[in-house]
Amino acid sequence: MRFLGSALVSFLVLAGKVLTKSSSGDSVLVLLDPSLSRANYSIFFGGLEQQGYDLTFRAPKHASPAIAEYGVPNYSHVILFTPDTKSYAPDVTPQSLVGLLSENTNLLIALSPRQTPLTSLATEFSLILPPPGTPLLSHHPKRPEPANVIPVSVSESPILTPDTNPVWFSGVPHALGNSPYLVPILRAPSESFAADSTDDSGSGTILSASDKGGEGFWAGSHIGLVTGFQTTKNSRAVFAGGVELFSDEYAKKALPSGQRSGNAQFARDVAAWVFQETLTLRIDRTEHHRVNETAAPEMYTINDQIVYTAYISAYDRKTSSWKPYSGITDMQLEFTMLDPHVRIALPPVSGEPGKYEVQFRAPDRHGVFKLVVGWRRKGYSFLHTTTTVPVVPLRHDQYPRFLSAAWPYYAGAISTSVGFFLFSALWLAGDVKGEKKNLKGVKSE
Amino acid sequence: MAGPKTAKLSSPPTTTPPETSVAVSMLWESYMQQTPNRLKLIDAFLAFIVLSGVTQFVYCVLVTNFPFNAFLSGFGSSIGQFVLTASLRAQVNPQNRSEFKDVSPERAFADFALGSIVLHFFVFNFLG
Amino acid sequence: MIPRITFHLSWLVIAAGVHAATLSLQSPRVTISSSDATQLLSDTLPSIKRPEPLTLGASDILKLTFQVTENGEGKGVQPHQTFLRFYDSVSGEEGIQPVRVTPGGKAKFELNMARPPASLPPTTDRPLAVSLILGSFVHDPAKYDLFDLYVPTSSTPAPHPDEASFHVLPPIVHTFRPEQKLPPKVVSIVFAALVLSPWAILLGLWGKIGLSVPHLVSPRILPFTALLGAFEVLLVRYWVGLKLGQVLLYGGILAIPTIFAGKTALATTGEWRAGKH
Repeated sequence: MRFLGSALVSFLVLAGKVLTKSSSGDSVLVLLDPSLSRANYSIFFGGLEQQGYDLTFRAPKHASPAIAEYGVPNYSHVILFTPDTKSYAPDVTPQSLVGLLSENTNLLIALSPRQTPLTSLATEFSLILPPPGTPLLSHHPKRPEPANVIPVSVSESPILTPDTNPVWFSGVPHALGNSPYLVPILRAPSESFAADSTDDSGSGTILSASDKGGEGFWAGSHIGLVTGFQTTKNSRAVFAGGVELFSDEYAKKALPSGQRSGNAQFARDVAAWVFQETLTLRIDRTEHHRVNETAAPEMYTINDQIVYTAYISAYDRKTSSWKPYSGITDMQLEFTMLDPHVRIALPPVSGEPGKYEVQFRAPDRHGVFKLVVGWRRKGYSFLHTTTTVPVVPLRHDQYPRFLSAAWPYYAGAISTSVGFFLFSALWLAGDVKGEKKNLKGVKSE
Repeated sequence: MAGPKTAKLSSPPTTTPPETSVAVSMLWESYMQQTPNRLKLIDAFLAFIVLSGVTQFVYCVLVTNFPFNAFLSGFGSSIGQFVLTASLRAQVNPQNRSEFKDVSPERAFADFALGSIVLHFFVFNFLG
Repeated sequence: MIPRITFHLSWLVIAAGVHAATLSLQSPRVTISSSDATQLLSDTLPSIKRPEPLTLGASDILKLTFQVTENGEGKGVQPHQTFLRFYDSVSGEEGIQPVRVTPGGKAKFELNMARPPASLPPTTDRPLAVSLILGSFVHDPAKYDLFDLYVPTSSTPAPHPDEASFHVLPPIVHTFRPEQKLPPKVVSIVFAALVLSPWAILLGLWGKIGLSVPHLVSPRILPFTALLGAFEVLLVRYWVGLKLGQVLLYGGILAIPTIFAGKTALATTGEWRAGKH
């Protein structure tokens, strides 16, 4: 009984921890540069621990605890708050970090104007960084802080809490390549730009940089400060241009308007997204069958009416469970054989949470078809499922019969048969002797 | 000039039809007299088959060839039956006896019956 | 000159701080000329955003000149940041173009549409809002809305190959082969009757021949005739609904008596023909 009780208690403790973990696990490895004080990030890290994440801290040069062993990641999420670190333990390389993403480990990476291995990693994710040593500057608005400590207003994004206050930012901007897998989270203010000058005589450098054209100039609201990347395996990475964004200092620092800064909220929202707590969807199962039937047939016949159903759920961070989700309004179903032959909307069924259903007519082409649902929207988990179904032509006895158009042909065939029978009857019954006589008579004539 | 020409032109139509009809009727007369009854039995059946095949073909051309398999079956049954019957006629015709010394009329009919039944099997198989 | 300076002072957007000197614009002037150097427009910009938008043709050149001065003194300064911002408020597309300013504060900017700069954002038939951003380490920053500018529509850049999968794709409807049209039933009935009409001729001709059928019910002939008829009935039944296997089975069963009956019947007729009876 006591054993049972303690087991129950430990289960409850476990459940309490489990309740707050992300959809992909709660172990987090934090690589923290020794130059950064852990105390200055207590709001961010403390918040994560309070949520139930299990944080392990490690200096970037220490070899243990290892990020991954035998190719299997040891942690569900890795935070790299090592913006200025130039040399890492051998297990941290751009390649190993990309490898973690393909094993569904999420990465939160802070960059800085310094050139580090993480700079080249960002390049792999279609983020184009300015030359080393060019932080983001803005003279707007007028404020006592230096030009590289910038209040940035937060634009609306499904990732972020609506109406988040502007956040303090200091660090390096990045231009965004045209990769659709990028998810912009925080954009630079339009008055800001990247420059390495500290007084007004630097304007010439800016001009010569911009004259180079292309990505030679990092300025305006097209430049990203915090950008996410969602891989096709649904793991997530976030590149933040500066680590101070997450610091207690910026979280507590009042904005020029006197308001509280939004940094704490912003950091929590970014972590929630990158750790797959929010905007995380999955397809639970799919079904297909002929209309008015319930079981999936082994194969469909051309022109069959097919009913396709998908059940989708979203991760609910409050209860740490998957809940049916009917919020997708623009999902599409494709029926493909090499090319899509049919592409139609797959709308949610009202009154049945998480259920999406559509009915369509199979093409009058036979072959091996695929039922494909692919849904990709920026910020959300990608949904993808394919089901292979053969579509066969009508069996020889499935064609329509006794069509009115064929009546004359039926009449002809039956008529020949009956004619044959009557002819045979008459022939066999005929008087053969008479024939001979008749023949002789003819000859004699 | 005009008068004689019209006269010449008008005269043949009045005389030719009787000539042809006479020829046809003579042919008919001699057929009716010289052909054994059993061959006439076959010939009537052949005429029947030809007419029913032609009507099916006309229907196919004028109205529809759908379903095509039904057309092939119906029209094919006429053609096949015609071929089998014509071959029976050739073998039982006393005038061809020299050519078919080894084939008795009974044997010819047996072939005809077997061939017809096989033909009808395929016809109804594909009639649809 | 003095009245003009005070005039421009009034359009400082940013509330100036007490201590820092602010930057101001002097004699901003815009000129549009066509490619053959004909001047299409030349105008001093007003203190607020120019109410009428400007339009730039595909080969026109827009020139913008102004001087940046320090507030109150009229002395030209070279700010750290002198940027022109082209902004499409609907698409959110934005382009930032730095402007060269001499140490005396004089600035000249040229926008040649024949060779548009890379900083010009993708354009549509909507105008771009053009504004000037001034920033400095020592002066207060300033921002001026200059005018709306219509420029020719640009070609859209080639998107990433995967970009399409992030949007709703156009629906695809399969084009089905047209249903076979059946002719009117009346036509089929008429032709069916026509196909059956040779029966009249056949029966007529057979009647005319006057064939004698003395052996119609002869016990040596009748079984064969009946079995042939049975075969035909079986084949018609096959068409109506029997399976191939059934037909082959029944046909095989039927074949055995038919062979014997056939032999008997044909042997009998052979004898008759030879005149033995």
